[in-house]
Amino acid sequence: MKRRIIFHIDVNSAYLSWEAAYRLQQGESLDIRTIPAVIGGDPQTRHGIVLAKSIPTKKYDIKTGETLYSALSKCPNLLIVRPNYLLFRQCSEALRDVLKEYSPTIQQFSIDEYFLDYTAMENLFGEPLQAAHTIKERVKKELGFTVNIGISTNKLLAKISSDFQKPDKVHTLFPEEIPTKMWPLPVEDLFLVGSATTRKLHARNIHTIGELAGTDPLYLRSFLKSHGLLIWNYAHGRENSPVRPGAIPIKGIGNSTTTSFDVEDLHEAHLVLLSLVETMCTRLRHKGYLAQLVAVSFRTNEFLNYSHQRKLSFSTDSTNEIWEIACQLLDELWQGQPLRHLGVRVGELCQNDFIQPAFFVRDRVKERKIDRAIDEIRERFGAQAIIRSSYLHSGLKPIAGGVITEEEYPMMTSIL
Amino acid sequence: MKVVMQPIEMVARFTEEGLPRPVKFKVQFEGDSVVIVIDRILLRKEEKIAGNPMLVFRCQSVINNLLRIFELKYELNTCKWFLYKI
Repeated sequence: MKRRIIFHIDVNSAYLSWEAAYRLQQGESLDIRTIPAVIGGDPQTRHGIVLAKSIPTKKYDIKTGETLYSALSKCPNLLIVRPNYLLFRQCSEALRDVLKEYSPTIQQFSIDEYFLDYTAMENLFGEPLQAAHTIKERVKKELGFTVNIGISTNKLLAKISSDFQKPDKVHTLFPEEIPTKMWPLPVEDLFLVGSATTRKLHARNIHTIGELAGTDPLYLRSFLKSHGLLIWNYAHGRENSPVRPGAIPIKGIGNSTTTSFDVEDLHEAHLVLLSLVETMCTRLRHKGYLAQLVAVSFRTNEFLNYSHQRKLSFSTDSTNEIWEIACQLLDELWQGQPLRHLGVRVGELCQNDFIQPAFFVRDRVKERKIDRAIDEIRERFGAQAIIRSSYLHSGLKPIAGGVITEEEYPMMTSIL
Repeated sequence: MKVVMQPIEMVARFTEEGLPRPVKFKVQFEGDSVVIVIDRILLRKEEKIAGNPMLVFRCQSVINNLLRIFELKYELNTCKWFLYKI
């Protein structure tokens, strides 16, 4: 069998490029890619964080993820643009339409990343490198933004190679190139090596991917458990997951928000939880699932994280019921510390084709009806069309979290 | 030609295939509204910058006894017409 050829297509500073391309199309003369500009937060209130930045911001040492306040203090004439998630999804879909012409098997890995299985497509579109350049140029010409393409024999190596040098480049990382191209890289550049793992590896004097590959896997397992074996295999470029065209099955749905003030009052905390549960349960019902596990988490003003979860003896998708359980969990866990961040999550999902009623829970027929009615009203007239009166004069958002309320938006994942 | 990107009021004909053909439009010029009748369409192309499909027409008309070439844009998602360049 021929060896697999996988492309990883990654949009260069995606949010910013998309906004720039859109503005140019709308007749603006200034390309925001050429000036210090960031996407994120609210330009008026200056709340929020940097989601994407233009290349000229490098001079000012602005990092993705830092607050707008600190970015502005580094560069006072920084242009801040509010993220337009509908535009981002539209751009992502346009990219997918182009990629679809080159292979039947493509996978959306996040809003700005795609995998494309190019195996045995050489006869149609030429050598992989040539095809990658064609795709890159077509995207630039037709859609107005640049992409990096990584080519290899599996998804892991393709993803790493698309990250080599930006923007607007094609890179290869075939297994025979691993020692020269991948092993000199710092260990945190490897997929699934995050800040916690990096710290542990650095403490044991493992700084490059090559050093990780040369380490005894049993030693790695002694302090990283099975994850150690996984990243050891990754460091050798071993990974064989297929390019999955469909969506990855959902294991849980969650929602969280960072509040603009410290929450210290129990009633307020419950209201914030409710605003999160509202969005989460709408998504849960939209997907046709019932939850059998509820979890809450919060972060205090000292940046300590706490979480607490409960397995249910029944399954439910009711906003009120899940909220009540979430409140109970919060009450058990919280000792009154000021809260910065609140989150809620449901798991152990099952299909809602039929529902097993339980003896000791209330009758949910009416609640399901009202939930459905609220969902439909919000779908037709917008999320703010109907809100709970408990939010009146509370200063809290009745619906919190999420990027696009109505529809699905692909997020980051750790599953290749 | 200079980019102006001004929204305009348009009279257009649509073919059986659904392709629009601009006929005449009203544009604000120095406070006055001017009606320009399109004499010829020189070129039609489709662009999809940022995933937003637009039809671009390069047209010519005689304006104030001068033969002028200009570009019009039709944004498919919003059904808006723009005077793109003149």
